[in-house]
Amino acid sequence: MEKIIWVDYALCTGCETCRLVCSYNKEGIFWPSLARIKLWREKDQGQVYPLTCKQCASPPCADACLMNIITKDPVSGVNIRETEMCIGCRACQAACPFDAGVYHLQQDIVVSCDTCQGEPVCVKFCPHQALAFTDLDEMKRKKQKKRAEQSIVV
Amino acid sequence: MSVLYGYAGKLLEVNLSENRFKDRVLQEKLCRDYLGGIGFNARYLYEQIPTGADALGPENILMISAGTLVGSPFPTASRSEASAKSPMTGLFGTSNSGMFFGIQLKCAGYDGIIIRGQAPEPVYLVIENEEVKVYPAGNLWGKDAWEALDILKTEYEEAEIALIGPAGENMVRFACIENGYYDAWGRTGLGAVMGSKRLKAIVVRGSGSITPFKGEEMLQKTLEARKRIMASPFYQPFKSYGTMNAAIPYGKFQALNAHHFTRGCLPDWKQNFARSRVEEYMKSHIACQSCIIACAHWVEINQGKYQGLKMKDMEVTPVTSFGSGLGLSLEACVQASAQAQKYGYDMVSIAGTVGMAIELFRHGMLTREDIGYDIDFGQEKAIFQLMEDIAYRRGIGHILAEGSKRAAGILTGSEDAAVHIKGLEMPMIDPRGRWTTWTLGMLTNIRGGDHLRCRNPVENLRYNENKHNYRKERFGFPEKMFHDLDMPAELKARAIDLEQDTVDIAVMAKWAEDLINLYNALGVCIRPPVMNSIGPGILAPFFEDFTGLTMSPADLMRAAERAWNVMKLFNIREGEKPEDSRFPERFYRQAIDDKVLPEEQIEEVLKLYYQARGWDRHSGQPQKEKLEELSLEQQRYFDSR
Repeated sequence: MEKIIWVDYALCTGCETCRLVCSYNKEGIFWPSLARIKLWREKDQGQVYPLTCKQCASPPCADACLMNIITKDPVSGVNIRETEMCIGCRACQAACPFDAGVYHLQQDIVVSCDTCQGEPVCVKFCPHQALAFTDLDEMKRKKQKKRAEQSIVV
Repeated sequence: MSVLYGYAGKLLEVNLSENRFKDRVLQEKLCRDYLGGIGFNARYLYEQIPTGADALGPENILMISAGTLVGSPFPTASRSEASAKSPMTGLFGTSNSGMFFGIQLKCAGYDGIIIRGQAPEPVYLVIENEEVKVYPAGNLWGKDAWEALDILKTEYEEAEIALIGPAGENMVRFACIENGYYDAWGRTGLGAVMGSKRLKAIVVRGSGSITPFKGEEMLQKTLEARKRIMASPFYQPFKSYGTMNAAIPYGKFQALNAHHFTRGCLPDWKQNFARSRVEEYMKSHIACQSCIIACAHWVEINQGKYQGLKMKDMEVTPVTSFGSGLGLSLEACVQASAQAQKYGYDMVSIAGTVGMAIELFRHGMLTREDIGYDIDFGQEKAIFQLMEDIAYRRGIGHILAEGSKRAAGILTGSEDAAVHIKGLEMPMIDPRGRWTTWTLGMLTNIRGGDHLRCRNPVENLRYNENKHNYRKERFGFPEKMFHDLDMPAELKARAIDLEQDTVDIAVMAKWAEDLINLYNALGVCIRPPVMNSIGPGILAPFFEDFTGLTMSPADLMRAAERAWNVMKLFNIREGEKPEDSRFPERFYRQAIDDKVLPEEQIEEVLKLYYQARGWDRHSGQPQKEKLEELSLEQQRYFDSR
C-alpha cells in the first residue's frame, strides 16, 4: 500500500526542524520558506499543525495544472511535478485544499513534497515523532494500539 | 577574506535620530574573536557607547544579535541576545530569548540589528528581506503588547516581532522587550531603552536562506548531539515538566524567595507548586526553533477565577517570582505572567519591586495613603493593581517604576527592603538556603542580581550538602556523568573531585560563565540536559561545518571568555567596584532556618574566583596577563561612523 507522511498533531511542538532539513535536502541550503512542509500556528491555541502534500488520489492540483505536469507515480503514489515545464501560474496552489504547494521564489515555479523518494528527511529528523511515513493500515493499527492502551483500566 | 558560511554576513545599523540605515559587513576576524550573539553585542557596545552615557538617552545603543548556529538544526539553536547599557544597573545590560526571532532575522539577511539615536516621534521598524523602513507608530503607541501585536500581525503575518508594552513606553526601568506574545528579552531593562528611543516594535520577516559550509556533516553531527542530550538524566524530566522541576527542591532546601526573601519556603508549597500540577492545565509542549526538549507548556486554566485564561507559562521563574515571592496561587501566577507580558515587564524585577512595596507597607513605611489601597502577600487584586500603576507610573508607581534600588533612594529608610545586586532584583534562589556555583554566580554576574549566566553544568538538585563549606558543592552523580561531561580533562579533574564527591565552586563558576557565554554567542539554550552534554568539544566541529571557520574547542572558549571580559571592562569603565558584588544585607544578618551567609567564607570563594578569572581582587580589573592572553589590547573592530 502507498505510504504517505502522517502527522500526529498532539506530538508536534512546532520546533520547525522539519522545515530546515527539508529545505536543505531540496535546495542544498537552509531555506525554511522553501520547505515542502509548512507549520500552521494559531495564536491562543498552543497547537501547531504541520502540513505537507497529502498525495491525493485525485489531485485537484493536477486537474488545475494548465501544463499537465503533475502526474501520479504508479508505484509510490506520489504526485510528481515536472518542474522544468512549470510556468509558475500558481493555479495548482489555488486548487489545493490544503495549500500544500510552495512557490519557489527564485525559480518562479511551484514545488511540493515528493516524500524524498520514499525516505522523507522531515520524518527522519522529527525529534518528537510527530511525523511518520507509513501506509494507512499501519497507521490504523498504531492508532488502535494507542487507544487500546489508553482504555486499559488498571 | 574567505567566504563566511552560516552567517547572514552583515549587521544592520539604524540611526533613529537621523532616519539613516547602514549595513556593516561582518569581518572574519570579528567572527573568530567574538563568534556572534552576545559576543558581537559585547564588542560593538564596548566600542560605541560613550562612557557615562545616559542609559535612557540617545547615546545608548540597543543591539539584538542572533546566535551563530541559529538557522542550523543543531539542537536548541534558536536564541538571540539583546544588549544595551542597562537603565537598572548602569552596567552592561543583556538578555537572551529563544523562539523564532533569530532565524527570521538571519533569513531577512542580518545577523544583528543595532539601534542608535532616538526617534523624534514614536515609530516602528520593519525589516523585510534587507529592506528597512521606519513607520510612525501612531495608534500602536499606548497599546499593551498583545493589542499592538494583534494589529501588527494583521499586516505582517508570519513576521517575528520584538516590541514593548506600556512599561517600556513609560520607561519603567525594568521593562522588557517582548519576543512575540509569550516570550521576552526579560532582564536588565532593555524595554526601557527601546522606549527611550521611541521605538515601539521591530518587525522582522525574511524569506532568505542560510548557507552551510558542510551540510551533510552537520546533519550527521546534529543527530549525534541529539543522542548526547537525550542520554542526559535531565532530558525526560525537562521534556515532561520543563523548568518546574526545580520548584519543589528549592522549597525543600528553604531556598525560595518566599515573601520577598523573608522566609525560605511557604506552607503547602509542595502541594500547590509540585511539577505534576502542570499536568492539570497543560494542553501541549512548545519548542523553540530546532529544540528537541520542548520544555515550555501551553496551559489553559479550566476552573476557578481565571477560567478561560490561556498562556504559555508555568515555568519556574514566573512561578517563583509571583508564587513564592508574592504568595499568589499557581493559577494567579499565570494571570500575573499574562499581565507582565502585556505591560512588558521583567517578571523577576516587577515581582521584586512589588515585594519591596509590600514589605514597606507591612512595616508601616508605606501607608494606604501612599499607595491608595492596602496591599499584602497573596492579595492578588492589590498586586495586579500595583503592577498596573507601575506600568503607567501612577502615584506610588512612579517611584517604584525606578526599580528597587532607586526607589530605596527616594523612600528614605527603605534600603533594607530593596533586594538587589548592583541594582538588579534577585531571582528565586536564596543563598542562605542553598549555596552552590549557581548562587556564587549571582555575585559575579555581569548583569547584577541574576541566576542565568552561571550554573554548574552538573548541578544536583537532589542534594544540599557541603553547604557549610562554601568552597564546594556536592557532585552526587554516577561517575558516567563525570566522563560524559564535555570539558577539558585537566580542568574537569580540578573542578570535580570524584573521591570527595565535590565540585569546586570557584573553578566551576568560571567555566560555567564562559560556557554559558559560548551558548549565548552561538544561540544554544542553557537547559540542564544541554549543559551537561554539550560543550566546546561538540560545538567546535559543528561550528566549523556550519561557518567554514576552523576553531578548536579552546579557541571557542577563549572567544567566550573574551566577550565576558569585554563586558567586565564595560562595567568597570561605568564604575562597577568589586565591593558591589555583594548580597543585600538581610542575607548576612537575618537568619532563615538558623542560617545567615558567612561573609568571610564568601569572600574567600570570591577571591578564588577572581584568581581563576585572572582578575585583580582589589580593583576588579582583568590583569595584564589576562588581557594579553585574550588579545584585548586597543584594537577596533568597528569604525566609529
